Amino acid sequence: MMRAGWARLPRGEGPWPWLAAGSVALSLLMFSGLVLLLAVRGLGHFWPAPLSLVALEDGRLLAGQAVREERRADGAGRERLYLTANRDLDGAIWTWVDLEEIAAESRPRDLVVLERTRWGSFQGRLLALEEERGRVEGEAAWQALEARLDELQALRRERLRDQVVVPLVRRLERETSEALVAELGAANARIRELQARMGGTRLLLESVDGRQLEQPLEQVLRAWRPNAMSTPQKLAAWGQGVWRFLSEGPRAANTAGGVWPAIFGTVLMVLLMSVVVTPFGVLAGIYLNEVAHQGRFTRLVRIAVRNLAGVPSIVYGVFGLGVFVYGIGGTLDEWFFADRLPSPTFGTGGLLWASLTLALLTLPVVIVATEEGLARVPDHQREGALALGATRVEMLTRVVLPMTTPAMLTGVILAIARAAGEVAPLMLVGVAKLAPQVPVDGEFPFLHLEQKFMHLGYHIYDVAFHGGDVEAALPLVYATALLLVLVILVLNLTAIFLRHHLRARHGVLPRR
Amino acid sequence: MSVFPSPRPAAGGPIIDFEPAASCLEVEGLSLAYGETLALRDLSLRVPRQRVTAFIGPSGCGKSTLLRALNRLHDLNDEVRLSGRILLEGQDIHAPEVEVAELRRRVGMVFQAPNPFPMSIYDNVAFGLRLQGGIRKRQMDDIVEWALQSAALWDEVKERLGSSAWTLSGGQQQRLVIARTLAVRPEVLLLDEPASALDPISTLKIEELIRNLKSQLTLVLVTHNMQQAARVSDYTAFLQEGELVEYGPTDSLFTNPRLVRTENYITGRMG
Amino acid sequence: MIEPLPPRPEPRRQWYRRLRDRLATLLITAGGVGVVVAVLAIGVFLALEVAPLFLGAEASVGWRELWQGRWQPGTLPGEAPAYGMLPLAWGTLKAAFWALLFAIPLALGAAIHSALYMPPRLRSRLKPTLEMMEAMPGVVVGFVAGLVLAPWVERHLAGALALALLLPAGMLLAGLAWTWLPPGLRRRLAPGWAGLWLMPWLALLAALSLWLSPALEALLFGGDLRHWLDARFGLDYAARNALIVGLAMGFAVIPGIYALAEDALTGVPASLGEGAQALGATRWQSLWRVVLPAAAPGVFSAVMIGAGRAVGETMIVLMASGNTALMTLSPLEGMRSMSATIAIELPEAVPGGVHYRLLFLAALALFAFTFLVNTLAELVRSRLRRRYRRLGAAS
Repeated sequence: MMRAGWARLPRGEGPWPWLAAGSVALSLLMFSGLVLLLAVRGLGHFWPAPLSLVALEDGRLLAGQAVREERRADGAGRERLYLTANRDLDGAIWTWVDLEEIAAESRPRDLVVLERTRWGSFQGRLLALEEERGRVEGEAAWQALEARLDELQALRRERLRDQVVVPLVRRLERETSEALVAELGAANARIRELQARMGGTRLLLESVDGRQLEQPLEQVLRAWRPNAMSTPQKLAAWGQGVWRFLSEGPRAANTAGGVWPAIFGTVLMVLLMSVVVTPFGVLAGIYLNEVAHQGRFTRLVRIAVRNLAGVPSIVYGVFGLGVFVYGIGGTLDEWFFADRLPSPTFGTGGLLWASLTLALLTLPVVIVATEEGLARVPDHQREGALALGATRVEMLTRVVLPMTTPAMLTGVILAIARAAGEVAPLMLVGVAKLAPQVPVDGEFPFLHLEQKFMHLGYHIYDVAFHGGDVEAALPLVYATALLLVLVILVLNLTAIFLRHHLRARHGVLPRR
Repeated sequence: MSVFPSPRPAAGGPIIDFEPAASCLEVEGLSLAYGETLALRDLSLRVPRQRVTAFIGPSGCGKSTLLRALNRLHDLNDEVRLSGRILLEGQDIHAPEVEVAELRRRVGMVFQAPNPFPMSIYDNVAFGLRLQGGIRKRQMDDIVEWALQSAALWDEVKERLGSSAWTLSGGQQQRLVIARTLAVRPEVLLLDEPASALDPISTLKIEELIRNLKSQLTLVLVTHNMQQAARVSDYTAFLQEGELVEYGPTDSLFTNPRLVRTENYITGRMG
Repeated sequence: MIEPLPPRPEPRRQWYRRLRDRLATLLITAGGVGVVVAVLAIGVFLALEVAPLFLGAEASVGWRELWQGRWQPGTLPGEAPAYGMLPLAWGTLKAAFWALLFAIPLALGAAIHSALYMPPRLRSRLKPTLEMMEAMPGVVVGFVAGLVLAPWVERHLAGALALALLLPAGMLLAGLAWTWLPPGLRRRLAPGWAGLWLMPWLALLAALSLWLSPALEALLFGGDLRHWLDARFGLDYAARNALIVGLAMGFAVIPGIYALAEDALTGVPASLGEGAQALGATRWQSLWRVVLPAAAPGVFSAVMIGAGRAVGETMIVLMASGNTALMTLSPLEGMRSMSATIAIELPEAVPGGVHYRLLFLAALALFAFTFLVNTLAELVRSRLRRRYRRLGAAS
């Protein structure tokens, strides 16, 4: 029966081709599954999830977002995990509930979620809003809260402390002048005034099981009532959430807030790296292909350079640590920063060393791409230029290199994509767990090459493996991973497109 | 002083039936090797000024190699070794004071496959002039027009000087390459099978162009097509296995070859 | 027509052009040689840092000591440090082994399918897709493996193992079912596109096996497979184990092996395979008897390069292996690889100390291994290219 079945295939190919086809399907399935997982979990986190009011059989009440369901460890029945927040009241933010114990579940519209700077978020009811002018209760309290939060947002935007006071203090450390002191005094007075205005207002909150607490408004970042929101409102909240994720710094031990410093650090490092790797990679590629004597030795060097692309990235990290950080950095410290020793300046991991290490790591990529681009320029183009009386450099700059530019660009883009996703070497040469300050500021020399920086990839590793509450951090890790993957996929797509475009335009065979 | 162990003495030596009154290029005892392979053996000849000289011979006889030696294109290749002398207007082109870029401007070359640069028609023609520098825009326009006229291409492209040279047909591209070379006013124009990649009509146009150009400069033509050599050249050199076999006026070489080897080749009994 | 004057060579400009040419050539040469030397200096530098370990009087360690089965670089007070590199080497090889075990069949199967059966248009789309799969950062794959896949497999071990059996069976079943389809439908579901239309079917099977797995577990293993494994074979189960690492690193290695193997297979002159088919062989037979033997060196070098990548990969192993320096054969237990050890311990090691130099030794070993493997693969490949050219010319 089986044999007859196979025999009816057009050419009687047998079962093996189906396994081969299946491996293609399985590989694609895994890849798309991974991307889909990241997309769904990463983007879903910002959607305001409905808040359930759960009544248990034993009479307890809790308000929480359902996270997931699982079979119980003993195999009998299932249980559900709720995010119940309120760390200051309960001491924990998670609650497992047996499905059988749930008596009733509802979604009252008056449940609020408050995002706070301390203790994580609060879930429950808003009873009243108290300020010097008086006290409002019920629905009016919610409207007052929304208005106050908008006001607060405007005040926060001034960021007096970071942008005015801190630079002033730094300048005062170096020089003393009456004008500066006066300016500082004025700024401090303004801050005190703002603090007074923000500190005056308090919220009276009640958890669903009836415990009350007072909450100073200045610690509240955001408030929403998920069950009362319409879909467009949720969509707007989602967009805001994504934007805040991209534009804010991390809070609450990386379990909340955004990844802006990590984005900035990654981009800055990659830019520095490409500034280094592009000229050197292109020079080396031109040398190997156009200038060097094309003998056995050059062929060996070419193979060696190609193979360096396969050397593990951690080895480059070790090299960077030994040569850049301890070697060059240590020497620089002895020469120029001796007064700060033993605390190192350049003798520790930092932006510069990380960029240089990654430049070294990606050099083979740029060299190989440049070489391939050069090899694709037909010899008769070179001869044509020479026959018109061009010198070698004129031939290169006027005919050959313009034809090679897309290939070199492809190489640089691939190098950037590789560098953006590389984490292992950075663990050795200079990322920080938390560096809310970006290594660029208004103070000379503006770009602080010796500072540590945050990195998207390392952020994923750090939050996922060194954070306190992994469950709470997980959504942000998903979002960060999605961001990183998107950046890298877009870069790769650009490179693929460029290369395709290049082939289609030249349509010439490679020389080798 | 030869760098080669001992060039095999030619069987009987070449028959040179002609001593030009005014020679432009002189080759004296030229031997050339690619790595271990000897491509030219102890070759000597003189190329007359303002005439068309054709090199013919079977594939691999060294005629293209000889042509490329005349403007030192072999400098690109590390594996080439060379001995003997090549004189351009009496000066050794390998002399240390000779600037190879300037030599190549004086000895222009057109290749087998048309190789316009990926830029506009105008820029292609202006390419060599811009390298020399010091030419104003008006003057440049004039020279580009003159060069395209000389290459009989002006009327076909004058409306679209700004479009890419790669949009031209194969024959037009080859004439563009000739125009580009003419624009830098070379004294010698080397043509390496310039029509072998073209259709018959384009070939005829190129041949006519070659005949017209000899009033201005010296032309050296490599071709595997004997009819072509007979149609356009004044003098013909027959090469075989890296040696010069017979060299003389085209008419007499084709109608009355002095050596049996030449006659066999011309009448198609070999090669 | 005005005939322009020949350009007069201006000596100053000629001199300037010549100078510029010389200078630029010098710059290119200096830059190129410098870069090449700098890049090649990596190995030399590592060796120099490691050398005092065996030569110097202080901070040296005996050759014997390195072959102990215990890695404990002296962090606990009162305990003698143990510098046995064996567990690290073991962990590295174990992780690479499981990764290759998973990746080689899939990558080669995919290469064969796309080289032999796929229409060229589809193939030219598949290659960049898998290229992007290769570009997936290790830290993301490691995160998903360590924090999502590992706990999930721990809970659904039976389902995961059932998948390993069900998926190949499902592929064969699909093939069998295909032969029974009416010709019209069969034309629509062309075998060349099977890589795509099998995807929903396989996804369905996966969902099915997960849905069935609790019942399966209850039926065969008394409700808990992990318990059963422990009782029956004495196998411990660690959530982050070699299987997870193999799966994740296999995922990362597949595209690389695929790309090179596919190149080798499509590089075989078409005349060879067609010759065999003209003699009545099926495509699969011609692959097995003619094409694969011709492409074997290329396929071999693809696997070598995959092995190099698997041995050196850091983040995936770091995040998905548990990092316990064990020397066990069991695929259900964790390990600690050299690369992960370097990443964890080197920032804390004192520069110049024994521990520091030993970690450099590990880096040197990784460097030497991958460099050798890649060189070997490159040599094999260039020899193969020459052979193809000969074969292509002969036919």
